[in-house]
Amino acid sequence: MMEPPIKTAIHSNQIKKVKRKSSLQRKESLQGYLFIAPWLIGMVFITAGPLLFSFYGSFTNYDITSHMDFIGLKNYIRMFTNDDLFWTSLFNTLYYVVISVPITVVAALLLAVLLNQKVPGMRIFRTIYYLPAILSGVGVYLLWMQLLSPTGLVNTVLDWFGINGPAWLFDPKWTKPALIFMKLWSVGGSMLLYLASLQGVPKSLYEAAEIDGANAFQKFRHVTLPMITPVLFFDLVTSTIGGFQIFQEAYVMSQNGDGGPANSLLFFNLHMWNKAFEVFDMGYAMAMSWILFVIILVLTIINIKLAPRWVHYEGEKNS
Amino acid sequence: MKGLVRKNVLIVMIAILSISLLSGCAGTRSKESSASKEGKVTVDFWTFWGSETRKPVIEKIINDFNKSQDKIYVKHTYLPYGDIWTKELAAVAAGNPPDVVINDINTVQHRAAKNQNTDLSKYIKDSSFKDRFYPQLWQTVLYKNHPYGVPFNTDERVLYYNKDLFKKAGLDPNKPPQTWDELWSYAKKLDVKENGKYKTIGFYPLWGVGADVWMLNADGTSFFDYEKNKPVVNDQDNIDALNWALKFQNHYGKNTIQQYKAQFGQQQANPFIAGKVAMYTEAATFYTQLRDYGKDINWGITKLPAKTKGSGHTSWGGGFAAEIPKGAKHPKEAWEFIKYLTGKKSQAYWAAKNFDLVANKAGAKAAATSDLLNAKGKKTYKFISEYFNETEITPTPLSAPDYTSIINPEIDKAMAGKKSPEQAMNDAQKAVEKLISNHQ
Repeated sequence: MMEPPIKTAIHSNQIKKVKRKSSLQRKESLQGYLFIAPWLIGMVFITAGPLLFSFYGSFTNYDITSHMDFIGLKNYIRMFTNDDLFWTSLFNTLYYVVISVPITVVAALLLAVLLNQKVPGMRIFRTIYYLPAILSGVGVYLLWMQLLSPTGLVNTVLDWFGINGPAWLFDPKWTKPALIFMKLWSVGGSMLLYLASLQGVPKSLYEAAEIDGANAFQKFRHVTLPMITPVLFFDLVTSTIGGFQIFQEAYVMSQNGDGGPANSLLFFNLHMWNKAFEVFDMGYAMAMSWILFVIILVLTIINIKLAPRWVHYEGEKNS
Repeated sequence: MKGLVRKNVLIVMIAILSISLLSGCAGTRSKESSASKEGKVTVDFWTFWGSETRKPVIEKIINDFNKSQDKIYVKHTYLPYGDIWTKELAAVAAGNPPDVVINDINTVQHRAAKNQNTDLSKYIKDSSFKDRFYPQLWQTVLYKNHPYGVPFNTDERVLYYNKDLFKKAGLDPNKPPQTWDELWSYAKKLDVKENGKYKTIGFYPLWGVGADVWMLNADGTSFFDYEKNKPVVNDQDNIDALNWALKFQNHYGKNTIQQYKAQFGQQQANPFIAGKVAMYTEAATFYTQLRDYGKDINWGITKLPAKTKGSGHTSWGGGFAAEIPKGAKHPKEAWEFIKYLTGKKSQAYWAAKNFDLVANKAGAKAAATSDLLNAKGKKTYKFISEYFNETEITPTPLSAPDYTSIINPEIDKAMAGKKSPEQAMNDAQKAVEKLISNHQ
């Protein structure tokens, strides 16, 4: 926003200087491209090919071995009009995203604030809370299947408080909450991001607020929170995208990966996987993947458009 | 964890790519070397039998075959159950498949229709070849009356019961229940309740087997009428089976049922083996667990009770078949090996060593007298191989490849009390009809 006045201030005799500068810039940009070349080559040759193939494939009845005939929009029409499980899986996925994203974001932030206090032994606490994030998926899920079993540890603890715990993974009403509960355990990754950004908030701002007589909550609300909004925004966007892609948990934790009791864990990606790799209806699965892509794209665009209303970037001219 | 799914998919993709590339190189190389070095043709044989118990058995069969051959050498490749068929498909698509693969018997026709396996009729010189196998298994490997695989092994569901608990309850341990009604009344006699909690459960029909097994048991068909080629999900018998199962569920209560269900997943803690459940329906191969962990319990085995007297003791089974994938380099040699693999000698050895029901009738009969089994083992094997004559296979209909993914949730809803069994099965029937219309 400060640029235009500078540009107009450039005089004709300065243009040469600018050109020389731009050759340097060109060199720098060449180096830049060189640095990202491995990624770029991977993107073009490994990702883009299959991506385009799946786009074309979504308009065919491709099943890998016997046919790949162009069938127009039939896959898409079937998805919306003639596949009940499509809607079930979409509902399950939305349920998961809508409930789990806010909860995990708040939990990660809360944990980060707690772990940002000056208490002896804090490093140990930080390690403990981060630990679940480095454990590998399937092992963790198997562990949780034990914990969440009707007579497992979770229900035993609930029993101490006189609560008759549900049958978590066997009761269709409780399977998704069980999964979200489990995901809460491993918020360590985003917690770390919040912790870093919390420590980056300048002390001078807190001092100024204290001089103005702000209490702890006001300091958090008016200093901490605005200062960490960029990380909050990043976490929100990536969590939403990750939430839509939920697959492993349901695949491992439901019997035979079939989507749990009464299809309560049949998420979009699991349904897609079953169509692709169980019955080899590849064309249809490709079409499903493009619908998921569109959904995530639209939501991410909305997120980005809404961002200027609440995300505060330091150094940006702010009204 | 967010990028994990994508990362894993990528890793799998790269793995598949590199494997097909590598096997591509290996394939051509071994072809040359095997021709020049040993003068033998290498047959690549893919199985998912990598466990401590199964691997030595299949490798002994392969070794015996290799010793008897001067032209063919079979190489065993083990791939985990979870991805063997996905990898096989990738290899077929890449034009470089194995020569023999063990695959699901219920979907042989699907692969035939999709051009993924080989019509074996041109290799079968002997017209009585098919008579070596149980007829219902042979029926399953036919597509348009041509065999596309050879049945290897199978299984069936039986009723195991605890004779000591029978005696305690005043029941004759040599007279297991014969009908659904008897199962119900026996179960109630076998129940032991202490302080409002069950110490012993007589019987619950949906541990160890699904509701579909009882639907099949009731009248010989479960979800699909293969003769009329149409779904019969909402048959009265099927609804009756659900109502009957619900009767048990109401009797014991959902909490008790779910607690036990979680325990049945773990071998040593299996409630039947622990003597907490008196009667239990399971695959016949559950015998090996009873043999290894159940030394303290005095158990008996019997047929599934009939719905009503005379309605038949029909049981349900699945199994695996040996196939030659489309595009295999050495189909003739592969066929020689399949013949050996499904022959009497190999089948009897496999059957007795693994206590597995095999497809070859003579092999199964020989296993029942094999010295590899103890007296109880022989008796049990004889029983299960004879009971297989009353066992049905339910191949996946060509027009409804994933029909169970639609039906099972409806059954869940009926059992959860969200829908009446009638409503649930009617909805499932409609959904399956819709699925079939998608595939026509």
